[in-house]
Amino acid sequence: MRYSSESIESLVEQFSRLPTIGRKSAQRLVAHVLKMTKEDVERFAKALLAVKERVKRCSICQNVTDDVPCALCRSDKRDQGLVCVVAESNDILALERTGEYVGVYHVLGGVISPLDGIGPDDLRIRELIQRLGPDAKHVIREVILAVNPTVEGDTTAFYLAQLLTPFGVQVTRLARGLPVGSDLSFSDEATLTRALAGRGPL
Amino acid sequence: MIVHSLRLRHFRAHNDSRMTFAPKVNVLHGQNGAGKTNILEAIHYLCLSKSFLTTQDRLVLRVGAPFFELTGAFGGQRRSAVEVRLHFDPKKGKHLFTNGAPIERVADHVGMLPVVSFEPGDITITAGMPGERRRFVNNILCQAKPAYLEALTRYRRVLRQRNRLLMMAKRQGAAPDKATLASWDDALVQHGSRVIGIRAQFLTDFASFLHDAYRHLAAMEKNPAMSYSGSVSAARSWKVGAIEQAFRKQLAAAVKREHARGQTLVGPHRDEVKLTVDGLELRRYGSQGQHRTFGIAIKLAQYFYLNDRLGEPPVLLLDDVCDSLDSRRAEALLLLLQSDLVGQSLITAAGLETIRRFVPFEAGPNQRLRVHAGAVSVPDA
Repeated sequence: MRYSSESIESLVEQFSRLPTIGRKSAQRLVAHVLKMTKEDVERFAKALLAVKERVKRCSICQNVTDDVPCALCRSDKRDQGLVCVVAESNDILALERTGEYVGVYHVLGGVISPLDGIGPDDLRIRELIQRLGPDAKHVIREVILAVNPTVEGDTTAFYLAQLLTPFGVQVTRLARGLPVGSDLSFSDEATLTRALAGRGPL
Repeated sequence: MIVHSLRLRHFRAHNDSRMTFAPKVNVLHGQNGAGKTNILEAIHYLCLSKSFLTTQDRLVLRVGAPFFELTGAFGGQRRSAVEVRLHFDPKKGKHLFTNGAPIERVADHVGMLPVVSFEPGDITITAGMPGERRRFVNNILCQAKPAYLEALTRYRRVLRQRNRLLMMAKRQGAAPDKATLASWDDALVQHGSRVIGIRAQFLTDFASFLHDAYRHLAAMEKNPAMSYSGSVSAARSWKVGAIEQAFRKQLAAAVKREHARGQTLVGPHRDEVKLTVDGLELRRYGSQGQHRTFGIAIKLAQYFYLNDRLGEPPVLLLDDVCDSLDSRRAEALLLLLQSDLVGQSLITAAGLETIRRFVPFEAGPNQRLRVHAGAVSVPDA
């Protein structure tokens, strides 16, 4: 059903352009917006605009940030010689939650996938190479490839390994295997097979 | 494994049919188009989430019905008692449940309820294109080895990605970027070699089961064989390392042709499983009778193989099998079904003449069900 108000219709349209939001969810969100106070709506609209106006990409790690370079790349508490390569900014949040990682990051902005029309030139690989070059501020010892173990992620990791090894940097990959706290009998066979293949000494 | 009972709602010829099965031979008889095969198809659906006749779920939906739903009660060693329900709605898709709980990944379900089916269209396995034989091997291995299903799924994904890369380069009239292609080559070789390795090992293991099946069918020929041949057959041994090496070599040799065609020309997706009887290639030199015997033997061998690997007999679904065999082999098959070598079987037939001669229904573990116009009944003895 269409609304008699054009402005409502247009907001529904805008909401439903967001990922995972269908038309019905969009209508629910609009109904909520209509109940919000004008101040709340203004704050919301300002926050949306601010994201576009203030958020930039870090010149070093390519992560989203308000200040360039970002806080992580400026920090002297982080090991600037250890770089963890991730596909998306959100992956950094997951790794930071561990509280264990002391190095810095590099955000590729995706993985190689010809079916989606994404080749190496569409990723921020050139920027990664620059960080290894002679003009770089820090000497990088190790690059950890922390891309998802999908076919595309694996291929991107292989591509990067080919590219980075000649720079004399150590290239490593996240281990794959059983999730912590899981039960062997509940693990799927594919994961178990990989965990077996990648077993290590105690 | 045994299927105890089954309910079909809005499925093909069946509006709402319920039935129970006996532990050994179950004969479904009735006229053509009555809905006998639908019952085998329904069991196949519940075990493997798909039909053996079509890949399109909406084709099995009863005309004009909003959804179809299948429910089956199974028992066995892997799952002691399990009710499987499959619900298909053209708008919402297909959903599987075991004991009321939704199954998130179909791959986790495949192989839990082992099943082997034979239908007259299976003649394409012996007489058709190489793809049919690959599909046959895939079907067995996906049930028997979860690692194979994973390797195959990944290989197919890599193949699509690599083909797109080659095709895009071809359209632009340039060679694909070297480093990018090399990355996909590595993935192709890695997953493809696992697929080839598992297939080749399987064919070695399968040989003795095929011999046994031929013997059980009282076939004239003595020496049926299946061998792996294909783009990477140059491998001297079927160790993954050796296959990878051969694969890389073949891939390097095909570079020019691949660029010109814009597609991947080497790999398990183009391999062939060659079938021979007494040294002659079946596809070229086989008679009608030899094709039929091989077609059923290969399914029986699949049955024995899965039984051996999974440690439990699959359910055997035989559609119109007696029409495919001469009376001597039909007799051998019907006696085999009643022996200790085979667990539960379901068999469809238009007429009962042949079957009645060799399968007693009066009492005991066998049963016959009459199927008429989408309804199932137990006839009086």
